[in-house]
Amino acid sequence: MSESSDREAIVSEFAGDPDMLELVEFFVGQMPERVRQLRQSFETGSLDELRTLAHQLKGAGGSYGFPQISESARRLEKQSEAAEFAEVRRGLDDLIDLCNRVRM
Amino acid sequence: MVPAIELDEAPVVLVIDDCPAIRRLLTAKLSASGYDVRTAADGHEGVEMARACAPSLILLDLAMPGMDGFEVLRELKQCPALMHTPVIVLSGSDDPCDKATGLDLGAADYVCKPFDAVELRARVRSALRIHRLMRLLAQRARLDGLTGLWNRSYFDERLESELGAHARSGEPVALAMCDLDRFKEINDAYGHPAGDAVLEGFARIIASELRAHDVACRYGGEEFAILFRGAGEAQARAALERIRARLSETVWPAHPARRVTASFGLACASPEFRTREALVAAADAALYDAKQRGRDRIATALIARPRAAG
Repeated sequence: MSESSDREAIVSEFAGDPDMLELVEFFVGQMPERVRQLRQSFETGSLDELRTLAHQLKGAGGSYGFPQISESARRLEKQSEAAEFAEVRRGLDDLIDLCNRVRM
Repeated sequence: MVPAIELDEAPVVLVIDDCPAIRRLLTAKLSASGYDVRTAADGHEGVEMARACAPSLILLDLAMPGMDGFEVLRELKQCPALMHTPVIVLSGSDDPCDKATGLDLGAADYVCKPFDAVELRARVRSALRIHRLMRLLAQRARLDGLTGLWNRSYFDERLESELGAHARSGEPVALAMCDLDRFKEINDAYGHPAGDAVLEGFARIIASELRAHDVACRYGGEEFAILFRGAGEAQARAALERIRARLSETVWPAHPARRVTASFGLACASPEFRTREALVAAADAALYDAKQRGRDRIATALIARPRAAG
């Protein structure tokens, strides 16, 4: 993965919808906190919490026009059930990467 | 008193979801469609709010800490006031088992997250529409088709529950049995449409002379029953007198020269007339008295009078 494609911004499918502007702004603004919670739950070994966070992002992501986040969160939710450290790590990194690239 | 299905101006929709982002999105999307949206962040809060705000519809998440969506659904379906409220499960799970469980527990619909707002709103409208039609059907089953008053089976239920309330609180209850005098003559002389017009006209007079919390029904044939709630004998008698007078003064287009009158038997709930059967029998006996004494009048069942043999 090249640095440039890796850092490409992800924009909501509802970006052109004026009714969604404020809502997407709110969702994007939440991202740093979501990332912090994801990292923390992984680092403290709270897999249940990690699964809950992934589950919520799965439901919310696509609803706010970010289907990539829902898809990645769905994978992490599954992986965290199996509790394979390396897999969870990979899934978490993928989700965090997406969350970090979300833009207005 | 006059049966009606009220249409909510802004139906209350209760959202039960632990995810703040979902609550916020649903609030914005549904408020824009004219719904009054309330939110709860967990199952316990959700059940409590449902009891307090009696929503028209509930959107329910499944995976929630503490009390999950299935438990909430079970709880709601056990609560008489909420068991008919449509619930749409809005869940991150697309597992067919979860869908089946939700629907089998009584959910009206099941929508997966992430959700599409346009589709969700259409499903909300659909669930509300079906719920309204079911209420309409349930109500129609309790109405008399010709007069629009309540029917006898609903009336019997109400009378039973009002007598229960009377036994507990002493709140006065009065029952009137009303019968059109010589009604068969109208049917025979002017035909059944004329008879029907009299039944409808009498029902309209009764409905317009009662208070909102009184209950009137077509008891059968040309007999009507009125349940006066919180009214003593004098008050009930005054209402019956107004009904009697208005009926006897009414001119009927199909037979202007032939006036119609009715006889009324009134009985008040008391230690002696405390069951539905006893009260109806007392009002019937009074009605018989009114007929015997020349019709077009009101007779009251006297508590001291010995009960009819039987």
